[in-house]
Amino acid sequence: MTGTGPAPGMSEPTPPTSPPASDEAPAAPPGAAHPVAPVFSTRAFLLVLVGLVGAANGAPLLQALLAGRGGLPPTLAMAGAVALAALLAAACGAVAALWTRRIGFYEVTAAMLLWGATVGLRVAALGSQRGAAAGLEGLEQQGLLVVVLGLLGAGALAATAVFVGATLAYLFGGTGRLDLSVSFEFYVAKSHLKLTRRTLLALFALVVTGILPGLLFLFVRSMVADARERRAERRGLLMGRRRMAETLLMTLISIGGVAIGAWALTVVLSVMNGFEGDLKAKILGQNAHGILMKSGQNEFTEWRTVRDQVLAVPGVVGATPFLVNEVMLSSGQRLTGALVKGIDPATIGSVTDLPAAVEKGGKLEWLTSPELIPRSPLRDLDEPPSGRRLAGIVVGREMARSLRVDVGDQVNVISPFGDLGPVGPQPRSRAFRVAAIFFSGMYEYDAKFAYLDLDEARRFFGTGDGVTGLELKVSDVDRARPILSRVTAALGGWPYRTKDWGELNRNLFSALRMEKLVMAVILGFIVLVASFIIVATLIMLVLEKTREIAVLKSMGAGIPSIMKIFVIEGMIIGAVGTFFGLVLGYGTCLLVGDVGIPLDPEVYYIDNLPVRIDPSQWVMVALMSLALAFLATIYPATKAARLRPVDGLRSE
Amino acid sequence: MAAPFIRVEGLGKTYVMGEKRLEVLRGLSLEIAAGELVALTGPSGSGKSTFLNVLGTLDSPSAGRVFYDGADAFAGGEEALASFRNLNIGFVFQSHHLLPEFTALDNAAMPGLIRRLPRAEAYGRAEEMLVQVGLGDRLHHRPGELSGGEQQRVALARALALKPRLLLADEPTGNLDPRTAEGIHALITELNARLGITAVVVTHNEQLARTLPRRLHLSRGQLEKESL
Repeated sequence: MTGTGPAPGMSEPTPPTSPPASDEAPAAPPGAAHPVAPVFSTRAFLLVLVGLVGAANGAPLLQALLAGRGGLPPTLAMAGAVALAALLAAACGAVAALWTRRIGFYEVTAAMLLWGATVGLRVAALGSQRGAAAGLEGLEQQGLLVVVLGLLGAGALAATAVFVGATLAYLFGGTGRLDLSVSFEFYVAKSHLKLTRRTLLALFALVVTGILPGLLFLFVRSMVADARERRAERRGLLMGRRRMAETLLMTLISIGGVAIGAWALTVVLSVMNGFEGDLKAKILGQNAHGILMKSGQNEFTEWRTVRDQVLAVPGVVGATPFLVNEVMLSSGQRLTGALVKGIDPATIGSVTDLPAAVEKGGKLEWLTSPELIPRSPLRDLDEPPSGRRLAGIVVGREMARSLRVDVGDQVNVISPFGDLGPVGPQPRSRAFRVAAIFFSGMYEYDAKFAYLDLDEARRFFGTGDGVTGLELKVSDVDRARPILSRVTAALGGWPYRTKDWGELNRNLFSALRMEKLVMAVILGFIVLVASFIIVATLIMLVLEKTREIAVLKSMGAGIPSIMKIFVIEGMIIGAVGTFFGLVLGYGTCLLVGDVGIPLDPEVYYIDNLPVRIDPSQWVMVALMSLALAFLATIYPATKAARLRPVDGLRSE
Repeated sequence: MAAPFIRVEGLGKTYVMGEKRLEVLRGLSLEIAAGELVALTGPSGSGKSTFLNVLGTLDSPSAGRVFYDGADAFAGGEEALASFRNLNIGFVFQSHHLLPEFTALDNAAMPGLIRRLPRAEAYGRAEEMLVQVGLGDRLHHRPGELSGGEQQRVALARALALKPRLLLADEPTGNLDPRTAEGIHALITELNARLGITAVVVTHNEQLARTLPRRLHLSRGQLEKESL
């Protein structure tokens, strides 16, 4: 369990233990064999391992605990669990680093490798005895690859937390006492970066204007300056032209890289949020937040009393009965399948947005008083004026279009569950008059949904007094599940059961979430690449400043101090780049939101690119790019700190 | 008897480069008392700089020990050495090695900032020492705007700003013209007398070396003679 070579943050090789035999100075006492710190500490490794495994395994448990006992909403519970687990991991790393007086790179890597190996074993175990591994069932449903990637990802994140904790602890306590000051390191770091307000503003302008105009400007300016220089050279004049320092250029490029990464991430995530929010609004506009149904053979006839009970449950703000059946709708030669829903027009408004979605020309109230529906003058000719008044029906815009009907027109509703005729069951058919047309914005709903008055629907389907269930609206959409479980509890459980909107549309939303995650990972690679540029920039700076590092060491700057200088440099690059990226992202989101990017509504069913800014995502993006910038600094910083002063001071 | 300020016992330094072993220092022993001003001379490659670096704990010995006040300087780890240097030793190098982006005052204040002195104190000491080396009117000049002699004075002020007990100067006048070199030497002599700082000065210049009270001559890694 011993590695070779100096560990990062370790002192330079200590003197050899045996003195060279020297016949010229036989009286020389033997060299003192000072103890050498080992490069790998088993104690620290175990501690790091505890932190890694504890955080990776503890986060889901913590989340369950916070969401269950703590009653926190799922996103908050998740954030809290991740933060707590990261803190635990970081604390373990910090203690290990203070023990060993190293950043513990070897220990963390070994722990990570061990974790990776156990992931392999766990996955193999999954194959042999299904369901044995607790906590993995949820992942297991999504396939083996997701399980492996999830476990490895959790391990990598936990290892990162451990390593960050260890590094920070070493930076601020590596000298043996707490040293939070970064005064002179910051000072030196600033001098290395040579960032002035002017260059930063210029860089910002370059990125804001979409890079191309700025590059064109630089191109032209460089050409003019080159031409002038050549002319001057021809005339034998020496012209000193100020050129940008290479390291400054590298610094600016890395800042630009981080900025573009953060920018792309925030904008794309916000647009995807917008789509998700739009979808959610449309789904929740036409559907209730949850439904209450009765299982078993008994018909749901006692819904009136149940409705009163349900409305008494805190958090429930609306409830309306519904009856749903699949039917066919026809008008003339045109035919379409439909989901017809019997609703209570008086209370439907307290649960869904259907009343607001009704288009001009129709009225939802006409469902209950169909005699008020204005007759279409042309198509009603065939209807005997003395005949029974037709009941009203509300159809979606797309359905109205495909049936070519308008308010006042007739449609036939055909139900497969009909009367028993002479040759067996016959479909039942009845004419309705279109009382209103609605537009929800969801193509599926506008093409497939039709509404009848509840009483008419019961009569048509012959269901007596029973309904399919109650549609419920809750005060907080994101807490629909706990509120609905309270509803079930208030009703005494079985045979009543509830489903919230998330369950009702699970496929859609989990697909969306997966898409968002994959998008975030892919765009995260931009930031990752930008952090590689930071590594390159810092290595260049270290090489350039070799002598300066040696001088600082000769003046008594310790390893943590030298590391701090380069960590600060990387963090300045990361912070400025992230700030630029977020400002740009915010500006872009405002622009897209206010001015709008028009979409073809026939294709997307949305006329503008939707944008929704989720502050927690922005915080995540900022934290991620800062963390990557921090990790990027570690290698160059240890490289700088391990330079031997003697090498740097050697006269040229 | 109290231990001398510096005691070097059988100091050896061997560089191993692949197959080759290069013995730079071979069993060097000496004592230096507090307040002494020592000139170290010798031809190129005699190990003067290596000796100075080991004495200043920048490099570790392959054999032998270095004691400061009777305590082994290399007993602690890297961090202990760094803080030992910061508290006790000031270096002046042949090329001034000032930080080019900082003013003379910033440069001289750097050791104080490294020691985590309050900013005002670090700068106060730096200014005081710059005035002492005669650069009171050059505080805010950058190294590039100073002459060679002035640069070396700033380096001297930086080395002495925290009033260390030992000044190690590695050919501080090597890059200077004779007149300026004389000025620097005079300054070192004066500061040694005024501040009581022990100083070891490596020099090529026998003439200047002769002006110093104690002279050591190094030849092929060994102390050849001591002329008092």
